[in-house]
Amino acid sequence: MEFKVRAYRFNPETDEKPYYKEYTVEDYPGMTVLNALIKIKSELDGTLSFRRSCRSAICGSCAMKINGITKLACKTQVSLEIDKFGIINVEPLANMPVIRDLIVDQEVFFDKIKAIKPYLLGQREDDAHNRFKTLKEGEKISQPVYDKSEFKNLTGNEDTPNCILCECCYSECGGVVGNKDYLGPAALAKLYRYAEDPRDNDKNGSRLVNGSMPNGFWDCVHCQACEQFCPKGISPVKSIVRLHEKSIKNSITFSPGSKHVVSIARSIGETGRLDEIKVAFESGGVTGLLNDLPVAFGAGLKGKIPPLRLKLIKDMEDIRLAYKELDLEDKL
Amino acid sequence: MLKHDVVIVGAGLAGLRAAVELRKKGIDAVIVSKVYPTRSHSGAAQGGVNAAFDENDSWESHFFDTVKGSDYLGDQDAIEILTSEAPGNILELQSMGVVFNRNDKGGIAQRPFGGQSFPRSCYYADAVGHMMLHGLFDNVLKYKTKIMYEYFVTSLLTDNGKVSGVVAYDIKNGKFEGVAAKAVLFATGGYGQVYSSNTNALINTGDGMAISINAGVPLMDMEFVQFHPTTLKSTGILVTEGARGEGAYLLNSLGVRFMSKYAPKAMELAPRDVVARAEQTEINEGRGVDGAILLDIRHLGKERIMERLPQIMQLSIDFEGVNPIHEPIPIRPGAHYSMGGIKTDYNGRTVIEGYYSAGESACVSVHGANRLGGNSLLDTVVFGRRAGIDIAEYLKSAEGDRKFDESAIKRDEEKFEKLKKSAGKERHGLLKSELQEEMRAGVGVFREENAMKKALEKIGELKERAKNIGIDDKSKTFNTDIVEAFEFNNILLIAEVITRGAILRKESRGAHYRTDFPERDDSNWLKHTLATLDGNGNVKFDFSEVAITKFKPQPRTY
Repeated sequence: MEFKVRAYRFNPETDEKPYYKEYTVEDYPGMTVLNALIKIKSELDGTLSFRRSCRSAICGSCAMKINGITKLACKTQVSLEIDKFGIINVEPLANMPVIRDLIVDQEVFFDKIKAIKPYLLGQREDDAHNRFKTLKEGEKISQPVYDKSEFKNLTGNEDTPNCILCECCYSECGGVVGNKDYLGPAALAKLYRYAEDPRDNDKNGSRLVNGSMPNGFWDCVHCQACEQFCPKGISPVKSIVRLHEKSIKNSITFSPGSKHVVSIARSIGETGRLDEIKVAFESGGVTGLLNDLPVAFGAGLKGKIPPLRLKLIKDMEDIRLAYKELDLEDKL
Repeated sequence: MLKHDVVIVGAGLAGLRAAVELRKKGIDAVIVSKVYPTRSHSGAAQGGVNAAFDENDSWESHFFDTVKGSDYLGDQDAIEILTSEAPGNILELQSMGVVFNRNDKGGIAQRPFGGQSFPRSCYYADAVGHMMLHGLFDNVLKYKTKIMYEYFVTSLLTDNGKVSGVVAYDIKNGKFEGVAAKAVLFATGGYGQVYSSNTNALINTGDGMAISINAGVPLMDMEFVQFHPTTLKSTGILVTEGARGEGAYLLNSLGVRFMSKYAPKAMELAPRDVVARAEQTEINEGRGVDGAILLDIRHLGKERIMERLPQIMQLSIDFEGVNPIHEPIPIRPGAHYSMGGIKTDYNGRTVIEGYYSAGESACVSVHGANRLGGNSLLDTVVFGRRAGIDIAEYLKSAEGDRKFDESAIKRDEEKFEKLKKSAGKERHGLLKSELQEEMRAGVGVFREENAMKKALEKIGELKERAKNIGIDDKSKTFNTDIVEAFEFNNILLIAEVITRGAILRKESRGAHYRTDFPERDDSNWLKHTLATLDGNGNVKFDFSEVAITKFKPQPRTY
């Protein structure tokens, strides 16, 4: 069966603006979108440019938009796309500048990976096993003992060490759309991976402090796109939420985002209701409050005026029980 | 022109491990790679990395298993280093941040692997290569290493018998760059793209080996190509040996575990050469299932499959349309690994002063005629590390006054420009497919003189046609068309070296099996082949001794 591939084309040397070019390709059972692109390149048009390497969904080179959705071309079956869309539309990833055709500039993405210090900080003093040794005849080596549970969030199929840095999540991230300096899901998932590592020797909590800064994990907009579009079934947003929990547990609550969470928890714990004025004040201080004024004014015009004094709700006992269950009694 | 003390070409495990060693000492080492480091093919390694940790295991047992696995062609002094340094290397990696699964005692979990007499393959589910690659990459970032990524190296330069640097093509903008250095390490990986149906990435085109033989450095034992017994039938994508390590069965069309016929003791966990031949025999004798063998893991149960083999479960679903929890996986042998490579000693040194190689591109030789599963990742870190240390030592005494021949930059640039201007009608992508198919048919699992000579004729024909390659892409920005054309030249040269070596070696040893010479012949062939090019570009061969220290050659049965 023949099908059509409609490819985004742009060469900065010759094109003023991007355009689309159509190719007709002969299908075979099991053909992937990457196979189709390779066939076009080797038989029809050698100028079509894209990255590729492993063709088995582990190197992360061939991420692109296929019929509007960010995917790895190597693990996307042509037949499924054709059944659904009747054509294969291929476009470069979003949130990064296009160099040529389907190739984007990844520099910013990897700069953000570097920015979170993706390695163990320091060396644990009790770790005598970091020194290399050549064994003599009959000699054995002893190894450090770590309980399985210490690595429980690092050894599951869907845990963040399985991330292949393919940039699918970054391309779909709503947070990056709104703020190009936001670190993005992959870098923050990596931050979590090291914050969670039992061997990390981050004595003063610098990881969580740095991650709480502007553009860090409090800037996630919780759109869940990173989880939805991850080709490896990883949920970066879950790592981000765990970072929120971890930093609040460690009393790293200087950022507006964390103050917001703490304030909401306190408000609900005290009255069972959300005290919006207080939450706005406690999250952002006077400046925050002033910044929120236009929104508040707009809400007021529509008749949404928060009460100045909140009454306790009837079922406060349920709230108390829930907080006890969640270990949040100090917020009552 | 750029200037650094050390240039590391290739950013897979061996290159990154060497880089960490050098950067840790503050040495000015730069990494040059044709892809971003995390795209390197080391990341596709799935099943395990071997080291003897258990109190009932010993590195000496690992040593012997590896010698026997190599069919006695491995150099025993080097294998002793590989195995006695294995546990120390793994613990060092662990302390750098690499995560391994744990056993119940809190140590590193280990699974059985082919040809190993003890379960000694350390793993991270079925993605240990990925874990190690990213762990080492993170360390390279920690030591603030300069990475020139998406640069394609075109030449290795020497001055007065000493290495002086490399020439590299910047794929992003089409500019050529000279990088002068006192030491150069090639960790450029293998050449799986020589064959159709291979487990390798599209980037594995033997570039480093081709550049080396062109620069006068011998390639050793190139006729030994590993065919992995379990690769997905349709795509050749790897299914880890760890599946058999966890207890998978190999079944023929009669539903019989046929390995009992070929390796009654080791069964499915015989070494790869033995299993690949057994499978091919079953298929050839009509007991295959649509040209494939079945790998059955259903009896392991869903929970264990999800915990230990999640990646291969997903790969089987995505690429073969088979859910291994419910159905057996159709597999067949596919080209996987190069036992041969750039001849080095056990510190990574080659015949050119200051020029090193490590990892799959190198031949130390620790794998001899057949590599055991779980020994390649080990090879990359042990010898990547050793090369790093040796380079650091070498720099202390290396003279800095060698000349970098800048005309080489111009020469490579002209080669590229000439190809852009060529009016030739041959398409390199199509020539590559023809070569791959011929190599699979003629120089595959089973080999025989006439078929190999036919392959050689085909290679000769392709060499002629390659002179008429024309490319569509004339631009400078990310021109992958031109890079692929030069990669094709590299695999074509490597294919010729493999084929000529295979015709020359008139015996069967390890992965090199000749139906016309089915026995191992220690009196004539217990020796390494060394391929070089003569003045006219013809491949010629020399031989060198195998280092035999502890274990005298014995018949090899499993």
